[in-house]
Amino acid sequence: MQINFCMKQKLIRNSVRHIAETELAPIASEVDRDAIFPSAVINKMKQLNYFGLQIPQEFGGANFDTVSAAIVVEELSRVCAAVGLCVAVHNGVAVYPILQFGTAQQKQHYLPRLACGELIGAFSLTEANAGSDAGSVETTAIRKNDTYFINGTKIFVTNGGICDLALIFALTDSNPASPLSSVFIVESGFKGFLRGEVENLCGMRANPVASLFLEDCRVPETNLLGKNGDGLKIGLQTLENGRIGIAAQALGIAQGACEAAVKYAKERHQFRKPIASQQAIQNYIADMVTEIAAARLLLYHACALKDEGAYFGTAASMAKLYCSQVATKVTSLALQIHGGYGYSKEYDVERYFRDARVTEIYEGTSEIQKLVIARAVLSQLMF
Amino acid sequence: MVTELPWDEATGTLRRELVGGMMNPACMHALEAALQIKEHYAAKVTAITMGPPSAEEILREALALGADRGILICDRIFAGSDTYATSLILSRAIKKECPHYDLILCGSYTSDSETAQVGPQLAEELKLPAAAYIEDMEIKERTLRVRRLVDNFRETLEMEFPALVTVSLENYKPRYTKMDGLEKAFAVGDIITLTAPDLGINAGFIAANGSRTKVRKVFLRKADKANVIFQGSAANVVEDFLNQYENKISWAIGKDIEEEDLSDEE
Repeated sequence: MQINFCMKQKLIRNSVRHIAETELAPIASEVDRDAIFPSAVINKMKQLNYFGLQIPQEFGGANFDTVSAAIVVEELSRVCAAVGLCVAVHNGVAVYPILQFGTAQQKQHYLPRLACGELIGAFSLTEANAGSDAGSVETTAIRKNDTYFINGTKIFVTNGGICDLALIFALTDSNPASPLSSVFIVESGFKGFLRGEVENLCGMRANPVASLFLEDCRVPETNLLGKNGDGLKIGLQTLENGRIGIAAQALGIAQGACEAAVKYAKERHQFRKPIASQQAIQNYIADMVTEIAAARLLLYHACALKDEGAYFGTAASMAKLYCSQVATKVTSLALQIHGGYGYSKEYDVERYFRDARVTEIYEGTSEIQKLVIARAVLSQLMF
Repeated sequence: MVTELPWDEATGTLRRELVGGMMNPACMHALEAALQIKEHYAAKVTAITMGPPSAEEILREALALGADRGILICDRIFAGSDTYATSLILSRAIKKECPHYDLILCGSYTSDSETAQVGPQLAEELKLPAAAYIEDMEIKERTLRVRRLVDNFRETLEMEFPALVTVSLENYKPRYTKMDGLEKAFAVGDIITLTAPDLGINAGFIAANGSRTKVRKVFLRKADKANVIFQGSAANVVEDFLNQYENKISWAIGKDIEEEDLSDEE
């Protein structure tokens, strides 16, 4: 595993940081407050290939390695986590399964349009009664001739309010003895595809998280991803990849909050000296940067395993678990360092604090990550 | 800003190990101007820099943004070159690798020394017509028309190719880097390195024709900064502020602040 970043990754980090600080920093607070999806910036990012991070160049993508793709999400999230989320979900759980399981025809049809951002993707597994328990999905897809008719409701769909394409998990045979689930590539223009209101959430407010309603939604059989019955397999592998994206996002939030706190600690004077000169604050700073550094190594380790073609699922869970816990802890400490101002919307740290929290919930809760990790250990996949 | 960089006050050189490498801001504008020409004409853009091996990163960035090839001029004996030596070495590289150029675009000045001399000196070396601090350009066949702001006069000048310009920070706002461009810049990017022997330069040549100036001393000018807090209602605070700082603001913006103007804006 390579720990020294190569010149390419340094340049990618600088380039993403530049656009994030120029375009996103001035609006991040406002789009959070008013829950606005920043379309103008997203449109610029589409032209810069942010929506084709790991798509091969023959389909119009950047063909990045996974460490590079994680750096992109990390740097966007360092400034505006909701945009980092949009990019992470599109690349990590909408594009990835099509790349991994799509037919040549599906790739030809969808990847170029996903790479240029003409289509923004979403992934929708969660339902009112199915979250961590992916097997209890109730949405159905009934085949009639060459068309599947999908019925059901998906909730908490990241990018749901604006997505042009969603991967939908549905039961293709609900026989209780042998239920079969499958994944479908569903375009928002398909008849019977409807969206709910955008959710009013604690954090990530600039990302339009919404429900999707499928009412006799007509999906051509050619849009079945993988084989009939592959649903659970595709879902689990996709989530493993998605966890890298969410870990990167959590890491970026922690980094942004930590930098804000350090800057504030040097500026804020109490007892006629900067609060950064107080040992209590220095302890917090040391804890924050050390945990962020550890989180970063865990994340890049998972990325490197994936790039080597090795099994990365457990490493991705460990990275996701740790990065999100670090994000929660660091944003809390960063807010504490800001004192009363940290609790005010005048400062960004309050937004980081809210944004961090969900990283321990979506793409598998911390509890589910522990379950996955322990299961790997106990089944001797590890150690 | 020069003063924000970590200078070694004893040797008068920049402590490069403490600063991350970056493309000089004005050079970003020069590159953007070149890329805009390339969008309209069948032009090929070559990015050239002189520096340590790590300066390759700057050339990769230039390729990612749209340059066709990069040349890194890199040799230990070039270390510490002043603007005269730098332009001499650059001219050799250009004559060797790009003999059929039409236009050389330089950043108007560097952010780490701000001499603004390399561009004009390079034009002298290559015996080219040149204009510094240009803010706009227009090409008509073999004629280049440039506009620049000098001493509060806006000039329009014309010259024939081949020519040299140094580009100011006014226009040609640098574009953002494309992700696929970055990948290609590293996967297939065409970059060559030229050393002193490649350019027919040896230690004796440097001794005889090299740097003619030396930085004797670098010091940081200490500025007194203080936070001043005005308290009270907005109207009173604004009035107090203007009473106290009107002269300084007028000096900084180069014109008087009339009270009538302020009342108009209220």
